[in-house]
Amino acid sequence: MQSKCENCPVYNEAHLKKLGIKMDNFDYVVALAGNPNTGKSTVFNSLTGLKQHTGNWPGKTVTRAEGGFEYNNKFYKLVDLPGTYSLLSTSADEEVARNFILFGKPNVTVVVVDATRLERNLNLVLQVLEITDKTVVCLNLVDEAERRGVHIDEKRLAKELGVPVVATIAREKQGINNLLAAIEEVALGRYKGRPKKIKALDPKISKALDKLIEVLKEEFPDTPNLRWVAMRLLEGDQSIIDAVNSGELSSLTIKDKLTVNNELI
Amino acid sequence: MKNKDKIIAAVNNLRWEMGENFHDSLMESLYTEASEIANKSIVLQDRKSKFDLDRFIDRIVTSKIWGFPLMFLILSLVLWVTIEGSNYPSQWLSYLLLDTVHPVLKSFSADIGLVWWLDGLLIDGAYLAMAWVISVMLPPMAIFFPIFTLLEDLGYLPRVAFNLDRFFKAAGAHGKQALTMSMGFGCNAAGVVAARIIDSPRERLIAIITNNFSLCNGRWPTQILIATIFIGALVPSEIAGMAAALSVVAVALLGIVLSLLVSWFLSKSVLKGEASTFTLELPPYRPPRVLQTLYTSLIDRTLIVLWRAIVFAIPAGLVIWSISNISLNDLSLAEHFIFAVDPVAIFIGLNGVIILAYVIAIPANEIVIPTILMLTVLTTGLAELGQGTGVMFEMDSLQDTASILTAGGWTVLTGINVMLFSLIHNPCSTTIYTIYKETGSMKWTIVSAILPLVMGFFVCFVVTQLWRIFS
Amino acid sequence: MIDQIIALAFALIFAGLLAFIFLPENGMYNRWKKRRIDSRKMLIENGLKFIYDCEYKHLICTLNALAGNLGINADEAAKIFEQMDEMNLVKMENEKITLTDEGRSYALKVIRVHRLWERYLADETSVHQLDWHDRAEIVEHFLSKEETDKLAARIGNPVLDPHGDPIPLADGTIPKMSGITLNKLTQGDVGTIVHIEDEPKAVYSQILAFGFYLGMDFTVLRKSDDRIVIEADGEEVKISPIVAENITVKKQEQEYTPVTNRLNLSNLKPGEKAKVIGLASNCRGSQRRRLMDFGIIPGTTIEIEMENPLGDPLGYRVRGTMLAIRKNQAEMIYIEKIKTTEDEYAV
Repeated sequence: MQSKCENCPVYNEAHLKKLGIKMDNFDYVVALAGNPNTGKSTVFNSLTGLKQHTGNWPGKTVTRAEGGFEYNNKFYKLVDLPGTYSLLSTSADEEVARNFILFGKPNVTVVVVDATRLERNLNLVLQVLEITDKTVVCLNLVDEAERRGVHIDEKRLAKELGVPVVATIAREKQGINNLLAAIEEVALGRYKGRPKKIKALDPKISKALDKLIEVLKEEFPDTPNLRWVAMRLLEGDQSIIDAVNSGELSSLTIKDKLTVNNELI
Repeated sequence: MKNKDKIIAAVNNLRWEMGENFHDSLMESLYTEASEIANKSIVLQDRKSKFDLDRFIDRIVTSKIWGFPLMFLILSLVLWVTIEGSNYPSQWLSYLLLDTVHPVLKSFSADIGLVWWLDGLLIDGAYLAMAWVISVMLPPMAIFFPIFTLLEDLGYLPRVAFNLDRFFKAAGAHGKQALTMSMGFGCNAAGVVAARIIDSPRERLIAIITNNFSLCNGRWPTQILIATIFIGALVPSEIAGMAAALSVVAVALLGIVLSLLVSWFLSKSVLKGEASTFTLELPPYRPPRVLQTLYTSLIDRTLIVLWRAIVFAIPAGLVIWSISNISLNDLSLAEHFIFAVDPVAIFIGLNGVIILAYVIAIPANEIVIPTILMLTVLTTGLAELGQGTGVMFEMDSLQDTASILTAGGWTVLTGINVMLFSLIHNPCSTTIYTIYKETGSMKWTIVSAILPLVMGFFVCFVVTQLWRIFS
Repeated sequence: MIDQIIALAFALIFAGLLAFIFLPENGMYNRWKKRRIDSRKMLIENGLKFIYDCEYKHLICTLNALAGNLGINADEAAKIFEQMDEMNLVKMENEKITLTDEGRSYALKVIRVHRLWERYLADETSVHQLDWHDRAEIVEHFLSKEETDKLAARIGNPVLDPHGDPIPLADGTIPKMSGITLNKLTQGDVGTIVHIEDEPKAVYSQILAFGFYLGMDFTVLRKSDDRIVIEADGEEVKISPIVAENITVKKQEQEYTPVTNRLNLSNLKPGEKAKVIGLASNCRGSQRRRLMDFGIIPGTTIEIEMENPLGDPLGYRVRGTMLAIRKNQAEMIYIEKIKTTEDEYAV
């Protein structure tokens, strides 16, 4: 498999091999989430060596892509989720994205963030962090932000969020090495941090959530993201209601790293 | 299990207690935290940016005075560059594929003693059809697609949608329909797929049905050729090229107007409803990386579309050769069809040859012109000009093409009608299939296929009658 | 030349004929379709709904009332009743028709579809408010249970319909509605609208014309036998008792401070800055969510950055994003202008 990719443009020859769409045997699954038009497709291309078309208008990636890469002798499968502004609404795109992050149990979820619109993008990051701790924030378009006179202290941001933050300029392939290293750290479980959870909730809501989590705990004691489950239940999300009824929620327990629900892809 | 019922009951109770404000409140909390974190980690360097180029460009691009002229200018410019730029490569390719390779193939088949019908079917049918499509389609595509992609990468398309939105709103359509329409200028199938960016099912359906009125890549060459022959000839030769380009722009604009009108009609009748929301994010301008764009647009778009054209041209070539060479009662199948359709077709300002060409070209609009030429030669007995029955050929000069068409009874009116019909007729089979896949509804697929066809006949009919009254 | 004119005339007549047959409202095809829908099943289901409504409002339902509601004569109504009786859906005691348990859950099933469909129309489509009810009246007879549940799932299992009525659950239960009609309030009372009745249509369109919406706070300024004057959103509105009877409200305990001069985003001029103070409650469903996703929530700073050659939509700068918003949507975003100081660049 390795020899087949000798003519790929490799910028980090020792560690990275872009595998294009070859990904029969993989060790880890990485999900790529983010707002529309943040350069998600560009990040995807520079990791996999694929040539997905990248246009400059939000929502232009209408078909979902998958690709693979090899890093430090581990095979990673990369799933490019549809670009969404949020994971809390009812549109089909968002359903695909949030259900993959929850039920697909990717080993790492990379959220690509537009540095020029940090606030709006952090909104999505916070939602992802409610679902999974195994998150890497890829702070993209930092050059554009600098041009606008905005500089972001990524160390501070990482501390605030409790997950690795990597500044990149994906168009020029800057920072991709660091991104790979961060993905590996999280995938192997080496990164120690305390991911941020939403605190500033309305007391009425947090009371309702606590009540529901208590009931949920009796049935699903080992499921790690019960607060997210509770939030979705209160929003009337049918796929979660179904998961409660079918008992699928208990399978969200992180026991085996390699079980990935492929049907969702 | 009891616990599960307990959970569902608890959920229902809590939802009742909290009412409808849960989502609002959750979003507010999220944004409160997000802005807190952002404030902590953003270091503003120089607060007063000296000169905001984005804002400056946007002021011009969306200004009251310059907004629309600029759009018109850019469209004309892209077309003009495509027309002018593809002229020479087209000639070289046709010299290579038709004048050089074709005779070689012919003599080779003679050498090995190939049966006449197999020789005709393969070389004069399939090979020539493919060669014609490559020589006519490749150059304009190789120019049009990269320019279009550059505009797309730059971020201009959302501004077009922004400027045109008022019209789309009045037509009861979604503002993003302007985006899908622009994608349709490349390929209607792509435009139909792009309609996924529209959330509302009603407006998405309207965008899908009307996408066909975006003049697609397969139809640009037809427009350009006919405009050059018939419209260009109406004015002094110095401005012929400009007049031809402008008439093509006019047809493209007519397409936009029609797509708005049909949208309006649909949203007043079967797809009733008012225009819904339009929250489009306008991305910042990004300097496109020219080389990579050229590369990807060549690989991703041009070659894929070209490949499709070739795949459809080969069987079409086989069919054309066959129906011109299989005879029934001394007339070929093609002639039977043409003579049968002629009275009606001529009444609406077209002719049987054109109708047959459009039937054959359902899989790919790209092959309309060669089919028309070949069939015209067949029916007018101008055999000495062509190379034999059922052979698609490239004429050495426009004059030759023009003289064939004139011999086939074409007038300026026929030219105008073909340009109009090329804009307003059923989508190609790929697009129809894509519509079916995207809508999942046979009914809407049929509507999208039949509606423009009926409109096309109607428009040609009215234009013809008016023309005859006033001339 | 004569030929051409005759041909054109024929074409016009043909086009006219097509229009006559396929015209959306009064075309032959649609009339025929409408008539076909008036089937027995519809009459039975509408009858069940009516009887349910009577029970809900503690009114006595007779055969005559049933006939009047369904728009049929007494004989036909008797026939319909017989059929319902055969299906074991209703019973009659001394002229009074009531539902059996089976009939009640059937009625609730129909009501569930009706209210869900109204909610769907309100949230996901741009169908006018006045048309919601009529469309739901038709759809309620055709959706299967599976389709209904799927619809509910798609729009996030809502609890209330757009008029504030509770939507029956899939298991056929319905929560109790609390509240009193507006005409029960007295001078000086403060209330919030929790329900607006959508029938009869004449009254409903009057209520809509006043601009009333669910969740609207108001104060009763004056009250007499033939009119009630209330103050809401900074405006005084005189309403008749009939209108007041069709509005259900919740009495507020706390003092209500009237909002005066509430501005919306369409009042903002280029160069001005504003703070969002809220979204109108008739901005619903995916539209509301989309706006909030972009960060349009109370407290957000917003300004015009891009004008349009045609005047609409405009480009607004919100939390660093440039967002195109149509005027009719901008009217649903309430703002408060802030005095501009030149030194801020909102990120």
